[in-house]
Amino acid sequence: MRRNNKALPLDALRVTSRATLRVTLLSALLGAACVFAPAYAADAPAKAEAAGPLLQQVMQGMAQVKSSRARFVERKYLSIVNTPLEYTGGLAYTAPDRLEKNTQTPKAESMLLEGDKLTLVNAKKQARVVMLSQYPLVRAFTESIRSVLAGDLTTLNRYYKVSAEGSAAEWKLLLVPSEPTMQGVVKEIRFTGAAHSIKTIEITEKQGDRSVMTITEAGA
Amino acid sequence: MSQAPAQGPGLARSDARSSRVALAVWLAGLLACVFVISRTPFSADLSAFLPSAPTPAQQILVEQLRDGVVSRMLLVGVEGSDQAAVAATSKKMAATLRSDPLFAAVNNGEEAGLTPDREFFWKNRYLLSPGAEMPNHFTSIGIREALDDDIELLGSPAGALIRQILPSDPTGELVRMIDALEGGARPNSAEGVWFSRDGRRALLMAQTRAAGYDIDAQEVAQAHIRAAFSGAQSSAQSSTQSGAPSGAQPVAQPAAQSLVLTGPGVFAATTRASIKGDAWRLSMIATILVALLMLALYRSPRVLVLAFLPVGSGALAGIAAVSLLHGAVHGITLGFGVTLIGEGVDYAIYLFTQIPPGGNARDTLKRLWPTLRLGVLTSVCGFSALLFSGFPGLAQLGLFSIIGLIAAAAVTRYVLPALLPEKFAARSVEHLAPSILRVVDRFTLLRIPFYVLTAAALGWLIHLGGPPWSDELSSLSPVPKREQQLDEQLRRDIGAPDVRYLIVASSPDAQGALEAAESLAAPLARLVEAGALEGYDSPAQVLPSLAVQKRRQAALPDAATLAAALKQGQEGTPFKAGTFDPFLKDVEAARTQPLLTRESMQGGALALKVDGLLIKRAAGPANQNNGWATLLPLRGVQKPEAIEAALAAQAKADGKQAVLLDIKRDADRMFSSYRREAESHTLLGALAITILLFISMRSARRVLDVLAPLAAAVLVTTCILALSGAQLTIFHLVGLSLVVAVGSNYSLFFEKVSAAATSRERTIISLLFANVAMAIAFGLLGSSSVPVLAAIGNTVAIGAVLSLVFSAILARR
Repeated sequence: MRRNNKALPLDALRVTSRATLRVTLLSALLGAACVFAPAYAADAPAKAEAAGPLLQQVMQGMAQVKSSRARFVERKYLSIVNTPLEYTGGLAYTAPDRLEKNTQTPKAESMLLEGDKLTLVNAKKQARVVMLSQYPLVRAFTESIRSVLAGDLTTLNRYYKVSAEGSAAEWKLLLVPSEPTMQGVVKEIRFTGAAHSIKTIEITEKQGDRSVMTITEAGA
Repeated sequence: MSQAPAQGPGLARSDARSSRVALAVWLAGLLACVFVISRTPFSADLSAFLPSAPTPAQQILVEQLRDGVVSRMLLVGVEGSDQAAVAATSKKMAATLRSDPLFAAVNNGEEAGLTPDREFFWKNRYLLSPGAEMPNHFTSIGIREALDDDIELLGSPAGALIRQILPSDPTGELVRMIDALEGGARPNSAEGVWFSRDGRRALLMAQTRAAGYDIDAQEVAQAHIRAAFSGAQSSAQSSTQSGAPSGAQPVAQPAAQSLVLTGPGVFAATTRASIKGDAWRLSMIATILVALLMLALYRSPRVLVLAFLPVGSGALAGIAAVSLLHGAVHGITLGFGVTLIGEGVDYAIYLFTQIPPGGNARDTLKRLWPTLRLGVLTSVCGFSALLFSGFPGLAQLGLFSIIGLIAAAAVTRYVLPALLPEKFAARSVEHLAPSILRVVDRFTLLRIPFYVLTAAALGWLIHLGGPPWSDELSSLSPVPKREQQLDEQLRRDIGAPDVRYLIVASSPDAQGALEAAESLAAPLARLVEAGALEGYDSPAQVLPSLAVQKRRQAALPDAATLAAALKQGQEGTPFKAGTFDPFLKDVEAARTQPLLTRESMQGGALALKVDGLLIKRAAGPANQNNGWATLLPLRGVQKPEAIEAALAAQAKADGKQAVLLDIKRDADRMFSSYRREAESHTLLGALAITILLFISMRSARRVLDVLAPLAAAVLVTTCILALSGAQLTIFHLVGLSLVVAVGSNYSLFFEKVSAAATSRERTIISLLFANVAMAIAFGLLGSSSVPVLAAIGNTVAIGAVLSLVFSAILARR
C-alpha cells in the first residue's frame, strides 16, 4: 500500500517512452501546476542595470572561490502547512559547475548537479539522472544557486534580471525571473552574502509561499 | 464488307477478306483496350509487392507496413550552426504544421498544443492511475504514508511543482501514472525544442493523417513541410532584420539552414519517383535504340512503325487485361512494359527479316508460324508461374506479359501481313549475312569450353549449396544507403520506436483487446525485472479497459469514509486542516464520473497513441474472430525467446491470444516463404514447358536440343549474378523465368533451322537482331536504380544473350 516512493518529482518529469507521450505527461504535470498557479501579469521593476559595478564586484569575488563546503537549514513557509517544513544537510561546491546538496533530515536524499546532469538519489537509495536542458523550470532554479556560487553573471542573466545592493563585504542580490515558465511560479529570489560566501537564499513564489535557506560554514 | 465473287483467284480474295476482318477486329480491340485503360486507376502502392499474407501475424505485419502509425510518421530535421535560429525555425514550422489538416500530430518538444491531453490526464487521474487498486491506498495509514512522502518531495528541486498539485492529489496519482509510463531515452533538447545530441539539428515528428501507402498524400504532406520550412526561414530573416534583439541574446545572423526529411512516406515517394522516372526514361531510350536498329535493318520508316504495332497492341491489351482483372494497374507493371518491347519486337523482327527478296509476308509467316506459336506458348508457360504468385504485383506482371505476348503474336500473324508494303524484303540482311554466318558457324567449335563452363557453374552452385538467396526484406529496399543512415540517425536522436518487436493481442472487440493487453502487464513486469526487455507501451496505459476502470472506481471510498481517513491520516503532520478539500471533492466526483472511452479523448497525442495501438483489423479469412488488436511496442528487447515463452504460458493460463511479432524476422520469413513458393511455381512452369514441347515435337532428342541451351543459360546466369556479388532475390528468380520464356524462342528457331535448312541464314540473323533488341531493352532496365527493375533487367539481359550463344553452340548441322 505504500505510495510508490521511487517517484521523486523530477523522476516524474523524466517521463516515459515515446517522445510524444513523454512531453504530454511532463506538460500534464506542469499544466496541472498552472491550473493552480495562474500567472501574474505584474513584472518586476527593471532597475537591474543600476547596480552594475557592485554586482560585477560581487560576482568576481564569488568566482575566485574554487571550492567550498557548508551546512544548510532550509525552511519552507507554505500556505498549506501550519509550521514551516524544515530540511537540513550539507552543501558542497567545486568550480566551475559541480554542486552537491545532501539532505539529512527529515529523510536522507541527495542531489548532485554536474554540468547539465542532475543526479538524484532518494531516501531509498534509488538514483535517477536527469538532463537539465529538458526541464527549463528546474534548470532556472538550480542555475540561480550555482551561477551565484560560480560568479557566472552571463548564465544568471539568461534566466533572471539581477540587481545588487549593499557593499562587497555585505551584499544582497535580487533575482527576478525573465524566463516565462519560471515567471509563472517564482516571484523573486533573494541572496544575502558576506564577501565570498552566500549566507541566505530566499525564494518567494507567486502565491506567497516562501523558502529560506540559511547557509553556515562547514564545521562552524 | 464486300461480297467475295464465287470464282477467280479465290485464295487471294479470301486472304484479302480475312485481312480486312483481322484489321477490323484489331482496331475494335484497340478501341476497347483504350476505353478500358482510360477508366483504369494507376497505383504506385509499393505494398503490391508485399505478399497477401496468409497467417494472422503476417497480416498484421503487412497492415502495419502499409497503414500503421509508423508508416505515417515523418521525421524532420532542421540543420544550422545557430542553435537559437534553428530552434526558432522549428517552433514556427511546428506552429504552421499544427494548423495543417494534413497532419494528425506534430511534435518538436514544445509544450504547445497539448492542453487537451493535460486535462485528460489530470481530470481522469483516479480512473487512469493504478493507485486506487492498491491495498490501503485511501485508508488513514495509506494517506499518512503518502503525506510523509509529500514532505520529502516538497524539499526536492521540483518541490514548487508538487506544491501546486498537492491539495488535489496528495496520494500522488499523477506522479504514479507518469511512473507507470516511465522508460526509454528522451530526445535531447535545447531552447525548448528537441535537438540532436550534437546540438546542430532540431528535430520534429509529424504524423500524417493519410496512410503510408497513399503516396500521393504523402507527397503533398512532404511538400507542406518544405513550404513550412521556407516560410519559417523567410519570416525569421525579416524579423531579425527589422526587430531589435531582445534581452542579452546576441544579434542572430540569418545563417544558412537546411531541411532533412525522412520516414516511410519519404521513402515511398522517392521510390515512386524513381520508378516513374526509370520506367519512362528507360522505355524511351529502349524504344529509340530499337527504332534506330530497325531503321538500319529495314531502311523504311513505314516498316519501323509496323514493327512497333505488335508491341504497342500487346502493351495495350496487357494493361487492359490487368485493369479488368485486378481493378488497378501498378506503376511497376507499366515499367515492365519495357520488357515487352524486347520480346514483342522480336516477333516483328522474325517476320520482317525472314521475308526473302521476291517472297511475301504470308508465305514467310506460314513457314514461321508453327515455331513462333510454339515460342509464344512456351513463353506463356514460363510467365504463368508469375500468375500464381502471392505478390499481387508479380501476378500483375505475369498477366500483363501473357496477354501482351499473345496479342503481339496475333497482331504479327494476322495484321502485319496486310499492312506490309508489297515486295518488302530486308535487303540489308544480304550484306551482313555471310560474315555473320561465318562467325555463328564457328560457335560449334566452342562446345568443349561450353561443357566445361556449364559443369563448372553447376559444380560451383552445388558447392554453394544452391544459389545464394537473400530473403532479407531490406535487400529489396530501393532506398539509397545514405538515406537509410539518415533515417536511423534521426530515429535514434528522437527516440522514435525502432518497431522491430511488437506484441499483438487480439480479441473480437475493442474492450477484449484492451483487457488482453492489461492481462500482459504482470508477465511483462516480470520480464522487465528479469532484463528480457527495457519497457513497453500499451494503449491500456492511457485508456484502460472499462472493466479496470469500473474496478478502480469501485475502490474509491465514499465521501464520509475518505474524509475520516484523511482527518486521521493528517493528524500530526504540518499540513493545515482543509488543505486537502480539493482532493476530497475530486475523489467524490471520480466515483460517479462517466467511464472513459476513445471518444473521451479529444484529439491530441494521447488519442493518436490509442488509435495507433488499438486497431480495428480489416476483415479477412485469417481474423474472423479477432476483429480488434492491441499493439504493444517493446523497447530494448534482449531475450525475445523469453518473451515468447512467457506469452505462450500466459495464453495457456487465460486463453487470450497474444503473439510476439519480430518484424524483421517475420518479414524475412515471409519473403523467404514466398521465394520458395515462387521457386516451386517456376519449376512447375519449366515442367509445363517440357510437356508442351513433348506434345508438339514428340521426340525426346529434339526436346533436349531445345532445353539444353536454356538450362545452361539459366545455370550460368545464376553463377554470373552470384559472382558479381548480387544478393539473389525473388525478382532475380522472376528474371530467370523470363530467360526461359525468351530464350526458348531462340532455341526453338535454332532447332528448326537444323531440321529444315531453308532460309537458314535469314532465320539466324533474325534471331541475332531480336537478341540485340532484347539485350538493349533489358540491359537498360538493369541500369535502373529500382532493385526490382534492375534485378529483372540484369538477369534477363545476361540470360538472353547466353541463351542465343548457347543455342548457336549446341546447334546441329
